[in-house]
Amino acid sequence: MSRLAPEGAVASVAESEFTLASRRRRRFTRHRLGHIAAPYALLAPAAAVIGVILAYPMYQLVRMSFQKYGLFELIRHKGRWIGTANYASIFNDAEFWRVVLRTVAFTAVCVSLTMVAGTAIALLLLQVSRVVRIALTTGLVLVWSMPVIVAVDIWRWMVDYEFGVANWTLTKLHVGNFVRHDWFANPWTGFGVFTLLIVWGAIPFVAITVYAGLAQVPQELLEAAEIDGARPWAVFREVTLPLLKPIFVILTSLSIIWDFQVFQQIWVMLDARPTSDYYTMAIYAFHQSFQISEYGLGAAIAVVMVLFMFAATLVYLRQMLKAGEVH
Amino acid sequence: MSSVTQIAPTPVAPVVTRPTRRRRVRKAAWNLLGVIVFLVMVFPVYWMIATAFKPGHDILSYTPQWIPTHPTLSNFHDATHMPFFWDAAKNSLIVVSIVVALSLVLAFLAALALAKFRFYGRRPFIVLILGVQMVPLAALIIPLYIMMSRLNDVKGVNHVLGVDKLGGVIAMYLTFVLPFAVWTLRGFLLGVPKELEESAMVDGTTRFGAFVRILLPLVGPGLVATSIFAFIQAWNEFIIAYVFLHTPQKQTLMVWLASFTTLRGTDWGPLMAGATLCSLPVIVFFLLVQRRIAFGLTAGAVKG
Amino acid sequence: MKARYLVVALLAAMVAVAASAASGGTNRAQAGKIVVWLQNDAQNGWPEAVALANRNFKAQHPDVDVDVQYQSWGTHLTKFDAALAGGDAPDVIELGNSEMSKYMAAGAFKRLTQSPFPNNKTWLTGLKVSCQYNGKLYGVPYYAGARAVIYRKDQYAKAGIKSTPKSLSQFVADGKKLMKTYGKDSGYSAVYFPGKYWYAAMSFVYDYGGQIAVQKGGKWKGTLNSPQAIQALNQVKTVFKSLTRASRTTDEANPQQALVFAKGKVGSFIGNGWEWPYALDAKLGNPALAPVIGAYPMPSHIKGRFMPTFLGGSDLAIPVTTKNQSLAADWIKAFTGNAAESEIAKAGNIANTTKLLAYNASNPKLAPFARAAKYSWFVPTSPNWANVENGNVLQNMLVSIATGRASVKAAANSASKQITRILNTGA
Repeated sequence: MSRLAPEGAVASVAESEFTLASRRRRRFTRHRLGHIAAPYALLAPAAAVIGVILAYPMYQLVRMSFQKYGLFELIRHKGRWIGTANYASIFNDAEFWRVVLRTVAFTAVCVSLTMVAGTAIALLLLQVSRVVRIALTTGLVLVWSMPVIVAVDIWRWMVDYEFGVANWTLTKLHVGNFVRHDWFANPWTGFGVFTLLIVWGAIPFVAITVYAGLAQVPQELLEAAEIDGARPWAVFREVTLPLLKPIFVILTSLSIIWDFQVFQQIWVMLDARPTSDYYTMAIYAFHQSFQISEYGLGAAIAVVMVLFMFAATLVYLRQMLKAGEVH
Repeated sequence: MSSVTQIAPTPVAPVVTRPTRRRRVRKAAWNLLGVIVFLVMVFPVYWMIATAFKPGHDILSYTPQWIPTHPTLSNFHDATHMPFFWDAAKNSLIVVSIVVALSLVLAFLAALALAKFRFYGRRPFIVLILGVQMVPLAALIIPLYIMMSRLNDVKGVNHVLGVDKLGGVIAMYLTFVLPFAVWTLRGFLLGVPKELEESAMVDGTTRFGAFVRILLPLVGPGLVATSIFAFIQAWNEFIIAYVFLHTPQKQTLMVWLASFTTLRGTDWGPLMAGATLCSLPVIVFFLLVQRRIAFGLTAGAVKG
Repeated sequence: MKARYLVVALLAAMVAVAASAASGGTNRAQAGKIVVWLQNDAQNGWPEAVALANRNFKAQHPDVDVDVQYQSWGTHLTKFDAALAGGDAPDVIELGNSEMSKYMAAGAFKRLTQSPFPNNKTWLTGLKVSCQYNGKLYGVPYYAGARAVIYRKDQYAKAGIKSTPKSLSQFVADGKKLMKTYGKDSGYSAVYFPGKYWYAAMSFVYDYGGQIAVQKGGKWKGTLNSPQAIQALNQVKTVFKSLTRASRTTDEANPQQALVFAKGKVGSFIGNGWEWPYALDAKLGNPALAPVIGAYPMPSHIKGRFMPTFLGGSDLAIPVTTKNQSLAADWIKAFTGNAAESEIAKAGNIANTTKLLAYNASNPKLAPFARAAKYSWFVPTSPNWANVENGNVLQNMLVSIATGRASVKAAANSASKQITRILNTGA
């Protein structure tokens, strides 16, 4: 992992390129100790909060994944050590692998749609007039601010079999006969609805963050590129994208992490009783933990989920770590 | 605020003059597209608000009622007169303001360390912060609860942390918000063009001065995006609040909202009215901070 | 610049205020207070019963406070599990009667002696069964609900149905008459019967002499593929096919079937006692239906008898973590006494004792449900039963039958296999 930079931990990224010897010497002598300690001091409060709250529960979670931890053990606060049996039973479960596959595919679709649509809307915000922009951003925040439980209820109504606006509108628009159409009878259309719901809910965050990032891009650079005769797409690719890369990397990895854990939308929409066609990994883990009361198994699934997500975000993770070094 | 915000937004404005007619048509097309996107995105929100104004028997109907034909405020009346509404509102505001304030300060400092310093343990910390977000919340509930209930017995700590303490919920929210906030702010800090920092250095300001004077306004949009994120996360979280807060007077708005659903079905009208009321603070908060995004900060800094 | 300081000062002030607000608070259950978790149905449906119990309890223990905390159904067990793990579960908790056995088997509740509780000799058998594990008592019956057919008298009359059906075959024949009269409207259902409505569907199975599972020599065996059960499920399929246009993939609660009924395109549905007034609710339902709404117990396939109904309901129990067992028991006594139980019955429920059934029988709006309650069935009393429910085994089977994705036989076979496995191994 990272070592101390040769010239000492003091040199800031910007500084190291900015070699004014005298300036540097002065700083070394005056602030040397302070500079070594500085990053740790800056990091300490956040690290302390996360450490104090999460260290023990994380340890407990991993430990539980090696234990038989059912309701009986839960009440007595004592699991029974069973080695890797929980993991073995997960990996030998054909259902589990179907769930994994389903979750991966679903995440991939949701993340790509979210990123593309979110970025498109952020770019659109730059093009529209002020009134439209404020309306649109406020609209995005409205969507974002809707509590998930309420949003899911609203969507459930919109696609309701009997009273849904979706069926009514599609029928009126002559897309086909959608009177009493049951979107969840077929898992494909069911997941179609979930994809829309999740992408719809995730767009505001991506769009607003990307837009915030776009506001950071110096106008001079864009103008210079335009004067050079670059077409808008080229400007975006050559100027904007590289500058916003750290933000895109973050957004993509976060979207992967969040969509991989999708739970509440499916859970609430299907009345807390999704049929097994609709299990995603998070639902599977919750089901094993709280419905079957096999907390050990649930913990093991959670651990496996984390490993999968690390694998899925590895590319981004490396990019991200590199992003810090480039300067 | 600072001088930076005075500069008006300059969208990617074409510098070379083009035929104005063509420009106007294009602008109109973009605006039209913007309005369409707005309508599509906002429809479910509209449906929530419209439902909040519909009398109960109009809520389920075979032909959709696009506009409430018999608008009523009774749902709002019912919602606000449910027990513990005001307690819940107060608690939610307390939780959210602390989470937003603390997460911004802590995350900014940490992001500064990660983006601008090289030090031993930097990479593991970045990886750790990513990993924290990957653990499914549902799997952490039991371990978290075990720990929090032990804190209840620790003298000194148990005034703030523990089960049935807002402080405990705040601390847990911080752990979920902080990683994101640190990450995002780090991204924004990395995005700050080097030349700006350098010019600050040349100006002879101290490191710290440079950070505060130059970086803080530059990551303004990032801070805004992060604070909105933190606000909404803390405001809308349900399961932690439900499991960890027992006393009705200590519960938050989301827990209060859930009480509209009983075995006998859901009381839709008041639920939607309640949800509409719950969205208001988020909107107000956003309108307060959104100028920071909309204004061209960097442009100002470069010129200033 | 000033504005910035203002913001900082404001934030600091907010933090300070909030920190002080967050820190102040009472400690966990000590003597002097007992904590009771009830479902929020009581909060909205029969708050008077709770107030009454608290008053009576307070008269007995003036220095002990009762803190009633209301829970919601979808999530209450998550919270309870967490509280058990943390060792600070409430002193009294309400559980659905089909949720009990799993917790009794795991040792989550204090064992109770039956004699001190009011009306313990006349508890409804169906509820009492759900409070016992291996012959020992761990809970006290709280209230029950039974289902009957709620119907539109005017539609029945117009379809030429002279009296309410006395047998299942007549029920189906009457339904077909209704479909003939009103079925041209593609949204009309003679019987609103959504695909996942397993409480109603399993009543058919028990009526034909079938069972969900049987225990033999300590082993459970799923028996939904027995000839009787198959016969019953075929009847359910007939209802799905020719009498209902309800969704084949939803349950009776979403949308609330009583409210669908209130919209007018439903001839009848199988509902709880409280669903009658709910359909007429001034705000949500349609009060205009009051003169034309009625109810009768669901008829059996044997003429003149009733189909057994699922006796749903709730029990009260005392978690092992409590330090106030005797106080908790005293509160339960106050809450399940005649006075409080009458209040609960008034809200459209069936009280926990047969003594109070007379009250229900005297009220024409509750009588059909009280009559139906006399013949009831209950889920297998295996600690693993909750896993069958939560694994959606029955719902999956019914959805397959309703949508025609699988034959009755294939669906029943697969469900039986799963039930056998889950009841014996837990997973």
